[in-house]
Amino acid sequence: MMIEEKDLLGFFKACIEGKVESYSEIMVPVSQDEFPDRFVFSRFNPESVCVLDRYRTVDPLKILFYMPRETVLPVAPDPPMRVVAGAKACDLKAMQVLDAALTGGDFVDPLYKIWRERTVVIGADCTDAADTCHCTLVGGMPHAESGYDVNLSRIDDRFVLDAGSAKGEAFLNVLQSHAKVQPESESDRKRVRDNRRKMTERVQSRNRELDRSDQYARLREDQDKNWPAASETCIGCGACTNICPTCYCLILNDETKAQQFVKVRGYDSCQWHGYARVAGGASPRPRMFERFRNRYLCKFLFMKSNFNLLGCTGCGRCTEACAGNIDFRKVVKRITDGVEMGVVD
Amino acid sequence: MQNPFDVIPAEIYDVVQESPLIRTLRLRPEKPIRFQTGQFMELTLPGIGEAPFTPSTSHFVTDVMDITIMKTGFMTEYVHKAKAGDRVGLRGPFGSCYPLEKFEGKDLLILGGGCGLAPLRSLFLTLLDEVDKYKSITFLAGAKSPKDCVYKEAVPGWKKHPRVTFRRAVDVVPEGETWDEEVGVVTVLLKNLKGNPGDNPAVVCGPPVMMKYGTFDLLKMGYREENIYLSMEKKMYCGHGQCRHCVMGSYYACKDGPVFPYAQIKDEEAIWE
Repeated sequence: MMIEEKDLLGFFKACIEGKVESYSEIMVPVSQDEFPDRFVFSRFNPESVCVLDRYRTVDPLKILFYMPRETVLPVAPDPPMRVVAGAKACDLKAMQVLDAALTGGDFVDPLYKIWRERTVVIGADCTDAADTCHCTLVGGMPHAESGYDVNLSRIDDRFVLDAGSAKGEAFLNVLQSHAKVQPESESDRKRVRDNRRKMTERVQSRNRELDRSDQYARLREDQDKNWPAASETCIGCGACTNICPTCYCLILNDETKAQQFVKVRGYDSCQWHGYARVAGGASPRPRMFERFRNRYLCKFLFMKSNFNLLGCTGCGRCTEACAGNIDFRKVVKRITDGVEMGVVD
Repeated sequence: MQNPFDVIPAEIYDVVQESPLIRTLRLRPEKPIRFQTGQFMELTLPGIGEAPFTPSTSHFVTDVMDITIMKTGFMTEYVHKAKAGDRVGLRGPFGSCYPLEKFEGKDLLILGGGCGLAPLRSLFLTLLDEVDKYKSITFLAGAKSPKDCVYKEAVPGWKKHPRVTFRRAVDVVPEGETWDEEVGVVTVLLKNLKGNPGDNPAVVCGPPVMMKYGTFDLLKMGYREENIYLSMEKKMYCGHGQCRHCVMGSYYACKDGPVFPYAQIKDEEAIWE
């Protein structure tokens, strides 16, 4: 099935105007006048510039499901169904980590589960790449093969639509009854495949020198040799973890005032000194480079052993957000190369 | 759906000042709380915060719960201002427990120091409730000085118990205080032990440095790595494996622990810090 971009946006407009019963809130990547190449998930507004394809947003998709500040006790009534459109493959893969961590084990985070259930996630193939994009280094591609309810693949000013779940099928049924769609041809499918292959090659070629994907186990072998120099400009601000699509470490604030207990969840960061510190002051990682190293081990080793998924999906946001100008890919290269050259005793 | 952040309200019905820095809150939860000894609870002080503590009562007691807490940080400052009648919250229980079935028929050694005696008292009282199942119980307890010793009222009874060997050591005896038991770090008590470790279990809980050297001494004596049970002290913030603060490599202290056989975690980084 295919739809013209203007018809899809027209459908979104009808949704927010209350003309479509099923969906009342639409979130899309929007570019700002002063930053035409940066996209931020915002409520759909017909006046603003909606960029469904190109590359990932500044903020990770997780902020729409696992928010920086949310009251987890008591839990608010279920929100209405919403649509989040324009999610990229790296973010969709990250949601698999969050699903495993927050709903896949012995406990379920109540709010995350509700947001997941009450959201139709529309993915979109990347048609461009940011400087920091490196999904192909961590087993990903700039288009999703799963993890979406509906996926969009751009061909000129039209999108090929694919459903990836029952929720997605339902969405397409509603869409068809409100907007003009048409069947896609075999040549359209071929163009989608060609575009995907070209984008994949583009991300691969710019990262080829940095590929250490067979050496992540080596990160652990260096305890304190190259990590201090690699983290020299790190100021421990925690931007990298807050903006990471798979980081979900939390702090819990007790905001009880009356009889009803109130608990508010927020983001924590393993880069902060107080993170693992226990009462009395002891900390397993008192030095900055130890906390810096912890993030890499968590992404490549700990999450892998916890969920059998890498904690890095190659979005490159940590590199983009770093105040110390630290490139995540180059750190992995530097440490693993150091181990290979026998710097470690 | 069960909300893992939900709390069971509880009332403090008594406060026992164990030592200048350690006190026991005696709590009556609104509904009984079943736990297995070794597991921990998250204690909420309304409007202040939440922290993990291990009950100090036998797990056969479910209508009330004692929690022994040392004044050592932000949250515990407020614990030491709490008074009888105050309302608090409990979440839990969380984590692994002592494998009592593996202790049956064995000579069990319990080694504890300072506030590490809190979870060990729960274990000890649980064992005493079914004492015939165990061959013998040796409980070695350490403290900084005589006035820092906890559970002063219960100790005379424990010493007289026919199936129990209870010994204590203090690091120092300041002028003006009296002490007729051992002086030195708690591991000095290991020197006079009779018998063969063989396949017998040992349980260790205390400050990190005490756990470390206590474990090493037990290994030297011949205790097996898989028979030494440690209660790991990490920042178990959420209690159910979500917040990752207590992660030790691939393990969560809150979910896979806090009770670990030493053999399981000996190769993880920074376990003693």
